[in-house]
Amino acid sequence: MLHAPCTRLRRAAIVAIACICGWFVMELEMLGGRILTPYFGSAVYVVMGSVIGVFLLSLSGGYVLGGWLSRKPYSEISLGGGLAIAGAWLALTPWLIAPVCDGLLNLGLDDKWGSLIAALALFALPTVILGTVSPTVVRWLTAEASESGRNAGIVLGLSTVASFAGCIVTAFYLVLLSARLTLRVSGLILFLVGCAIIVVGLRHRRLRSWEGGAEAGKGRTP
Amino acid sequence: MNSRHVSRSFAPRLAAALLPALTLTLLTAGAAGAALNPQRVIYQKDSLYHRIFVFQDGDIVTLRFGRRDGPLTQSQISLSEPSRHLLEYSQLMFCGLLHCPAPRRALILGLGGGMIPREMRRYFPEAEIDVAEIDPEVAEVARRFFDFKTDARLNVHVSDGRMFIRRQLRRQPAPKYDIVLLDAFNSDYIPFHLMTKEFLEEVRGVLADDGVVVANVFYTNALFDAELATFLAVFGRTQAYYGATSVNAMLVAPGPRGQVLKPDEAAAIARALQEKHRFSFDLEAVARRLRPDVRPAPGTKILTDDRAPVNWLKEQKSNLPAP
Repeated sequence: MLHAPCTRLRRAAIVAIACICGWFVMELEMLGGRILTPYFGSAVYVVMGSVIGVFLLSLSGGYVLGGWLSRKPYSEISLGGGLAIAGAWLALTPWLIAPVCDGLLNLGLDDKWGSLIAALALFALPTVILGTVSPTVVRWLTAEASESGRNAGIVLGLSTVASFAGCIVTAFYLVLLSARLTLRVSGLILFLVGCAIIVVGLRHRRLRSWEGGAEAGKGRTP
Repeated sequence: MNSRHVSRSFAPRLAAALLPALTLTLLTAGAAGAALNPQRVIYQKDSLYHRIFVFQDGDIVTLRFGRRDGPLTQSQISLSEPSRHLLEYSQLMFCGLLHCPAPRRALILGLGGGMIPREMRRYFPEAEIDVAEIDPEVAEVARRFFDFKTDARLNVHVSDGRMFIRRQLRRQPAPKYDIVLLDAFNSDYIPFHLMTKEFLEEVRGVLADDGVVVANVFYTNALFDAELATFLAVFGRTQAYYGATSVNAMLVAPGPRGQVLKPDEAAAIARALQEKHRFSFDLEAVARRLRPDVRPAPGTKILTDDRAPVNWLKEQKSNLPAP
């Protein structure tokens, strides 16, 4: 994708990746509050404060990491692999909740430190990975420096609208369903998105090397 | 009005001019009063959890959360007769005594105006009473306006109810309560994590073997069915006392060595207890509200930490017939 010409379809697909990940960030954040409440209580500002804080910190780390990774030639593989790992993590999270939260409470931690560390343990990894998406896809969309601002605007704008939708739909409706099932289904979707990016990335890489080889061959033809 | 200060000749004309206006004013004031609430707000505070309203209407002081004219009255007290139960639910909550007549240790989740712990203290001066109330402002309001006092053996713990129980469970040895009263209402619903199977299992962990759990719920919506199913799943045996004039019902579950009651047994125990303690309300009338064999419809899903759509269930009708 990195060096492939950006067709309309490819641009749409890249922006869609950013939107899907934007949705999952807020879905996970709202579910996070829902998941931690039975362990750390409904002192609203404590549990939600911990969750929101951890998400902001994780996203900031993800942005920096994503920007760094976007300069690498293997950025499709790193992003797709990352999203597959994040998806697998989400799908496995239902089994981690009780041991992590009970473990922290048994250590004698209170609702503040307990919920903060639990949110870090359960949600930091997938959120860091989701944070790497925006800078990477901005790079994919950008062929010329003069385009970078516009592309960043489109990616941030649309993915944040998707975050809004994920936030509202989760808070109003998905919380009525099983939290574990929601996590598993979301994890599976994210895993598949990650795998799809890897597959497309590898195909482009092969195409490029084949084209490169043909060009080189042509050059040698007398 | 001050018509005697108006000259005689002027008075009829003034009255004629003012009468329609006055009538209209009184009519609209009456209508608005009926719609809003004629009671006087004597205290109002936005706490972390609620908009707290305290009204006074003559001798009666009322506590309400959420909306000023909201439907849910949390607590009510008559200042001249603090022990008079103005709301049916606070009498119903004493149904736990039928199953556990001499509690030495009681746990109450949700303070409100503090009527339940105050009356519990009155009839059981030696009992150790713990109250978990999440909102420090509510504790302050109960003390200031509802004649609620703590003492050496009646403590209010400002804490989420579930967190409090988990802390008690971690103590060595964990304290065992003879009566656990679940009465933690928000402005419009019970926090989901205080209704689930996992929560009730924690409650079971602090319940004495011959103790009893009493939960205040509304029997008209499907949350009642789900909570009843959850009680049965955790405690095995569950009975209910339905309100006569309110839509409150008490779900009652005894510990492993506790008692479920037949209606005539409940009435006999009530008469004996009434004789002994001289309750300010008729405990036998409460006992007569017992429905010993209430069961949810087959297939009713229990509430778990994973799935507890309490706000949605609250809006659905109960499948159980009204008493």
